Amino acid sequence: MIAWFIGNSGTIFVSIVLLLLVFFIIRHMIKERKSGKGGCGSGCSGCANSGMCHGHNHS
Amino acid sequence: MSLTIALAGNPNCGKTTLFNALTGSNQFVGNWPGVTVEKKEGRLKGHKDIIITDLPGIYSLSPYTLEEVVARNYLLNANPDAILNIVDGTNLERNLYLSTQLMELGIPVVMAVNMMDIVEKKGDQVHIQELEKNLGCPVLEISALKGTNVMKAAEKAIQVAHAKRSVPIHKFDAEVEETLEQIEEQLTGVAKEQRRFFAIKLFERDDKIGEQLSFSVDVENLITKLEDKMDDDSESIITNERYTYISSIIEKCCTRNSKGKLTVSDKIDQIVTNRFLALPIFAVIMGFVYYISISTVGTMATDWTNDVLFGEIVPNAVDNFLNAINCADWLASLIQDGIIAGVGAVLGFVPQMLVLFFFLAILESCGYMARIAFIMDRIFRKFGLSGKSFIPMLIGTGCGVPGVMASRTIENDRDRKMTIMTTTFIPCSAKLPIIALIAGALFQGAWWVAPSAYFVGVAAIIISGIILKKTQMFSGDPAPFVMELPAYHMPTVSNVLRSMWERGWSFIKKAGTIILLSSILVWFTSNVGIVDGHIGMVSDLSDGFLAKIGSGIAWIFAPLGWGDWKAAVAALTGLVAKENVVQTFGVLFGFLEVAEDGQDYWGTLASSYTPLAAYSFLVFNLLCAPCFAAIGAIRREMNNGKWTWFAIGYQCVFAYAVSLCIYQIGTLMTGGGFGVFTAVAFAVLAFIIYMLVRPYKQAHTLRVNIKSVKS
Repeated sequence: MIAWFIGNSGTIFVSIVLLLLVFFIIRHMIKERKSGKGGCGSGCSGCANSGMCHGHNHS
Repeated sequence: MSLTIALAGNPNCGKTTLFNALTGSNQFVGNWPGVTVEKKEGRLKGHKDIIITDLPGIYSLSPYTLEEVVARNYLLNANPDAILNIVDGTNLERNLYLSTQLMELGIPVVMAVNMMDIVEKKGDQVHIQELEKNLGCPVLEISALKGTNVMKAAEKAIQVAHAKRSVPIHKFDAEVEETLEQIEEQLTGVAKEQRRFFAIKLFERDDKIGEQLSFSVDVENLITKLEDKMDDDSESIITNERYTYISSIIEKCCTRNSKGKLTVSDKIDQIVTNRFLALPIFAVIMGFVYYISISTVGTMATDWTNDVLFGEIVPNAVDNFLNAINCADWLASLIQDGIIAGVGAVLGFVPQMLVLFFFLAILESCGYMARIAFIMDRIFRKFGLSGKSFIPMLIGTGCGVPGVMASRTIENDRDRKMTIMTTTFIPCSAKLPIIALIAGALFQGAWWVAPSAYFVGVAAIIISGIILKKTQMFSGDPAPFVMELPAYHMPTVSNVLRSMWERGWSFIKKAGTIILLSSILVWFTSNVGIVDGHIGMVSDLSDGFLAKIGSGIAWIFAPLGWGDWKAAVAALTGLVAKENVVQTFGVLFGFLEVAEDGQDYWGTLASSYTPLAAYSFLVFNLLCAPCFAAIGAIRREMNNGKWTWFAIGYQCVFAYAVSLCIYQIGTLMTGGGFGVFTAVAFAVLAFIIYMLVRPYKQAHTLRVNIKSVKS
């Protein structure tokens, strides 16, 4: 068992990093969505209508 | 103690520039009226307890437009401690019309006269002290763009807010004043300082103000009596009184030496908005911008990013690392052929996008974009849309979501729905990689491909407008479009670079999140399938689950010339985000792979599709249903599920019809055979032409579902 872990340590390490990356991306996207920023490709600070998204979200 | 200062003024007088200067924010500033639709808040630099609110630009406090309603409701209900009234010094008379109304609200006002540099350049003079004396409120000269006196203006506003000193109110004609006093006497339930504003609005028969009162007042007799006496309607009486007052002070406060002379802006406009030259100039400018961005400067940087950065440096470094730690082959393939290939295929186009954003930012901030709306109004009006519909399309070149949301400012419901349905036809930044990929891989960077993609979008809007306006749902005269053309000015380097970076960075962030997740999903579903009765890794992508799903829908697109599963899947994944089309191609066509015959990714793509099929694919992806985020925005703005489905359905059917005509008729013209679908394409073309030329049918009746009307 230990030998297997040692033999596959590289794969396990990369898999964990990848899973963490996916987890953080999904968490970030959910957070953004909850704050009314979700999905749009132009970014809120550069958007003329960002107030609309947030206004909608709060209501 | 916390204080709130509201920034109020006419459209395009520099409120958002001042807001950014005061708060250190990075809010979008556009040199065309109507950029700010909703209010925005920020804290004054160095004063955390001072909140600055940026209100939309308005000409009056009447409730005719969404911007006016937003601004008025805020000023009446949120009761800010002071108003910083920004006034365009080049057009003092018209700006004072709003100022007179702001001063009636009972809130302390400070006036900041902006654009004084342009006033001086024109040889005119604004006598600040005289203005201050006549209006009775503090007046300062500022330059929001250069940051001159902006903090002084904010400090003055804080000072008057603390002093709670409201402005002495100008007086109208004695008879009008008498009636207003009688109305005010009935408003005992309204705060004393707001009574005058409410009395004037009630006199103007402003329904929305009446609704805000918790008690009923009967002022109709008073209004009718004065209307009869002055032989005018109440609203006009107040407007006349305001302008009489403004005229009485303007002579003393302003010296115009440039009266009657043409300004530089006027001279430029004589050419760029000329009846005959305007459209060709617009076509040349936009064509040039897309050509430079996609085919020249941008391409050089993109070639390096694709071939060297994501073709050699990143994959080699990752490969060495994965080999060193003895990573499993499947995981290495997921990272290299999935993530790096997918994300790299999209990120490779960042340089081209930055160049395009740079040019668009220049066009926006110099004032040319406002002219495009004016130019387009002439064309739009001919088929029943107003130039106001072009503002959302202008914003839509960045992203369809704010573009769709900007349609909110269109008061006419039919025009608004039609604008929502057609705004996403304009290529947004996410569609740019598709354009660049097709232009580069299938057309060897031909100069006309990228500009044509933009004009296909504009043509789709015009054709859809004509067709839809001829249906009963959308028939009717277009709403009037009045827009003030801002003076041309040199864009500042910092504003242009900031705008370019803002948009570019959003794109990069998107590639690192949604596109990365999509790459993993596409890699898994394409590499996993049924092998010997079990789920496992497939050696050939055409055996994977994604290939099965793609093959199931590919037949739909066969008449368009790209009926293979890879293109079908790419179009489908484009619904998540349009960049996914390029990402999916990157994963499925092996972005990092070089075939045995030396053919690279672009070469493999080019050998898989004919140029006609590729152009049909491009047009379909430009015009079909937008990404989910934009569909969500359409749902919100339509506020109706059926209308949303109608919009999505229309976009998909229209995209299919146009792509079918391009591929089938194009194939026939280039020596291909005549088949069933060629006949269908001609029938579709005939239908479109019929719809374009058939006369307009005006709706004379309005059908209302009586059951749904409350008694």
